[in-house]
Amino acid sequence: MERTVYPLAAVVGQAQLQQGLLLAAINPAVGGILLRGEKGTAKSTMVRALAALLPEIEVVRGCPYSCSMEPGSDRCPDCAQHFPTLDTRVRKTRLIELPLNATEDRVAGGIDFPRSLKSGRVVFAPGLLAAAHRGLLYVDEVNLLDDHIVDLILDAAASGENRIEREGISFRHPARFILVGTMNPEEGELRPQLLDRFGLCLEIAGSHDPEERVTLMERREAFDHNPAAFLTQHQQQSDQLAHRIARGRALLPGVRVAAHLRSFIGELCRENNVAGHRADLVMEQAARALAALEGKLEVSVDHIRVVAPMVLIHRRRDAQPPPPPPPPEEQQDEQQDETPPEENQEERNEQPQEDPSEQEAQPPPPQEQQTSPDDQPDPGEQQEQEGQQPDAGREEAVFEIGTTFKVKAISGAKDRVVRRGSGRRSRSRIAQKKGRYVKSALRPSDDLALDATLRAAAPFQRQRAGDDGLAVHLREQDLRSKIREKRIGNLLLFVVDASGSMGARGRMTASKGAVMSLLLDAYQKRDRVAMITFRKNEAAVNLPPTTSVDLAGKLLAEMPVGGRTPLSAGLVKCHEQVRNYLIKNPTAQPIVLFITDGKCNVTLANGKPVEESLYLAGALARDKRIRSIVVDTEEAGLVTFGLARRLAGAMEAQYFKIDDLKAQALVDIVRGNHT
Amino acid sequence: MKNRPIYPFTALVGQDTMKLALMLNVVNPGLSGVLIRGEKGTAKSTAVRALADILPEIPMFRDDPYQLDPNEEYEVYTEIRQTVQAESASAATPEVVMRKVRVVELPVGATEDRVVGTLDLEHALKKGEKRVEPGILAQAHRNILYVDEVNLLDDHVVDVLLDSAAMGVNTIEREGVSFSHPARFTLVGTMNPEEGELRPQLLDRFGLCVTIEGIRTTEERVAIMERRAAFDLDPERFAAHWQAESDALADRLLIARSLYPEVQIERPLLFEIARTCLEVGVDGHRGDIIMLKTAKTLAALDGRTQVESGDIRTASELVLPHRVRRQPLMEIADSVQNLRKRAMAGQ
Repeated sequence: MERTVYPLAAVVGQAQLQQGLLLAAINPAVGGILLRGEKGTAKSTMVRALAALLPEIEVVRGCPYSCSMEPGSDRCPDCAQHFPTLDTRVRKTRLIELPLNATEDRVAGGIDFPRSLKSGRVVFAPGLLAAAHRGLLYVDEVNLLDDHIVDLILDAAASGENRIEREGISFRHPARFILVGTMNPEEGELRPQLLDRFGLCLEIAGSHDPEERVTLMERREAFDHNPAAFLTQHQQQSDQLAHRIARGRALLPGVRVAAHLRSFIGELCRENNVAGHRADLVMEQAARALAALEGKLEVSVDHIRVVAPMVLIHRRRDAQPPPPPPPPEEQQDEQQDETPPEENQEERNEQPQEDPSEQEAQPPPPQEQQTSPDDQPDPGEQQEQEGQQPDAGREEAVFEIGTTFKVKAISGAKDRVVRRGSGRRSRSRIAQKKGRYVKSALRPSDDLALDATLRAAAPFQRQRAGDDGLAVHLREQDLRSKIREKRIGNLLLFVVDASGSMGARGRMTASKGAVMSLLLDAYQKRDRVAMITFRKNEAAVNLPPTTSVDLAGKLLAEMPVGGRTPLSAGLVKCHEQVRNYLIKNPTAQPIVLFITDGKCNVTLANGKPVEESLYLAGALARDKRIRSIVVDTEEAGLVTFGLARRLAGAMEAQYFKIDDLKAQALVDIVRGNHT
Repeated sequence: MKNRPIYPFTALVGQDTMKLALMLNVVNPGLSGVLIRGEKGTAKSTAVRALADILPEIPMFRDDPYQLDPNEEYEVYTEIRQTVQAESASAATPEVVMRKVRVVELPVGATEDRVVGTLDLEHALKKGEKRVEPGILAQAHRNILYVDEVNLLDDHVVDVLLDSAAMGVNTIEREGVSFSHPARFTLVGTMNPEEGELRPQLLDRFGLCVTIEGIRTTEERVAIMERRAAFDLDPERFAAHWQAESDALADRLLIARSLYPEVQIERPLLFEIARTCLEVGVDGHRGDIIMLKTAKTLAALDGRTQVESGDIRTASELVLPHRVRRQPLMEIADSVQNLRKRAMAGQ
């Protein structure tokens, strides 16, 4: 289907983005390009517009894999057999779009049903990877793509060929393509392996210049009013761009990189602490592409300077993490405490300590200290980057909630138990006939994968022909069922200590910050949340399980603090809630998050509060369906009680300090440091 | 089946903002949809159906599951017939019929294959050929796609919906089928914010957003009850009673449609739009573009060919509330003007 696409030359602003796309189009060796940015910044428009400007290539006529005639290049089995007596034709380089709903058989290829049926033998139908060979493969919203499909693409991108070993087919064909992805980081991050696979990465933001915004509106209106006229009007500029790409491609093989510039590239990468050597290679190729784009045959320092940010932005690691902002009200007066006597005593013993996370920061290796002046910009840019993401906002005064941060991934492993639900935290097989159909399997189920069944039956139809009026004869052994996959949101049950001891020394502010961060994370992952608070003499369910994370946020903001600490009551109430939830949703995997310092002074029966709470925690641990996490809010000091750690031990829970919850930004995701 | 008359749009009491937003979208489908946020029982779906009822009929090919436009999409039609329905591609020019604009509903439980389309089971078994069974997106082309409780839809269905809504094309690459067809529709979504928010990405794709509440004045509530009772008692008579007003509105919408391409806007007003968007802080540029279109449509609806400052103010109230950059958990901005004042005061 033909579509009128807004011309690339008419896009207002975004010069760097345009440049990045041109580089990728000129030199496939840069290994793809990723555009990250807020919604409504012409990401998709620009990629689609690029398709119109791509140069022509010579392909074998009639070959579905667009094989090349160039000596020494990979060819599909058919072309390899007939080489070199092949007819060729010239056509434009293709931009293949991979829609989000694509299934495995269409991406990698599978049995050609009608042709297999007629011929009675297995005929292979090429998929999108075949179509994308020697062209561009574009994935919009690449961060929302199924992991299954991502794996397929990664595999092909890494090896340069697509191997199919399924549905009784054993086949391979070359698949070299430039991967182009766009994404909005608000919707969740990309998997580390995929992120590293993109050679270049560009951050996009809207323009803040009213003049530019007005020009943009005018052009858009003109385009919508009469697309054809608009295209004609910008034809000359478009032709120029297309010409530059074609010229760049022609020049590229002759572009040289001087030896001293190679070491400059190495130096740049080393200074930025990038992982592996991909950055060096990509930077050299990108610099060559830029030189070719400008019609030069020699790479200069300036070329490298221009492309360096695109190569490094998603690979750079900071030598030293920026010091965390000091928690507010740290030096608050102790007299404001309304804590019971036994707690006051312990607090007096505490000494103001430096932030525990600073102790954890690893001292940078010596050679990095030498280059530290160059490292200076990194933390700054890091912060700027975070500032652009509303999700990562640091302080929110309205809520009177402490600093929020991105939290570490908390999820169970993908499992084989069939579950029901909707969300994004844990991946799971799906029992209902819902979820994405990702592939088919030989397995009895009433969720028939018709396409796969037909493909399985196709080669046998000649032998099975009958006279019952049906064109296709199915046998039981042909039946295939659908394997669907979707992420199940967990129930996150927050059990928050709201007693007086938490109010002291700004602990509640920090705790609220931690809970808020977890809530923001829950929002991205579509979790259900529930909240229990305990203070004075009782525990209360403030929020029964709901998907409305907003409501939880509001409640958190209004949560009062003060009084004694009935931890046991909190534990009992928590167990009650989780048990009820598990009766309704037997396959759910609730995660209980205790936010407490572990100190307690109110019992349910007679006895010592601490022992009672540990006993109850042990009871909670016996239900293996429940995963628990204890977030310790006790500050590090000379005298620490470590009660929360003991609680975690009894509960068989994961134990975190607030600072341990923090996940690093984009850079760390690449390193695969999130667990 | 004799169609029971639909409750007339003009007989709806109150909810003027919602009615305005719906009318604007009908005049200019380029506004890409309305999101209606509000409680149950506030005449949301009644309004959508009622509006579809008074729209002029559109031409289409007889029995065409893709609802293509005979005037503009003839090539697509032949292309689809050749690739998908090879056996039925007769040389004869298909018959063109007129029919009403439909309201296509996307139920909350809809599965992805029903939304985008899938392999036709019966055809495959009988004829041994691949054929696409069109999904809801095909039905929705040139119609109104009504998604009730859009915030409760499965995430992957929302992703697909978002993709088609943005491109105006539905691309199927699944179950051995590779195929695309046009899918341009007026998207009307409803949601109850108490049951969870919509993802920002999808929120942004809705051109306009209105928040509605139940009517608070006693007189109006009584009027609603009276009219409803009268309608239930004798729908035909009730519809006839409102016929004149319905016709007048239909005319007004038609005039606005023809007027829209001629609406002009002066450059200073464009700057006003850009400044408003910058001051309240919206992500990207979609806000600017939709606001311009909305202001022009408002002028056309008013019978003018020149955008006035008032149009832009009205447009901002419809376009910006759900786009204001915010933490995911913040309230949808109550009033854009207030927000703007606050932003000004802060500077």
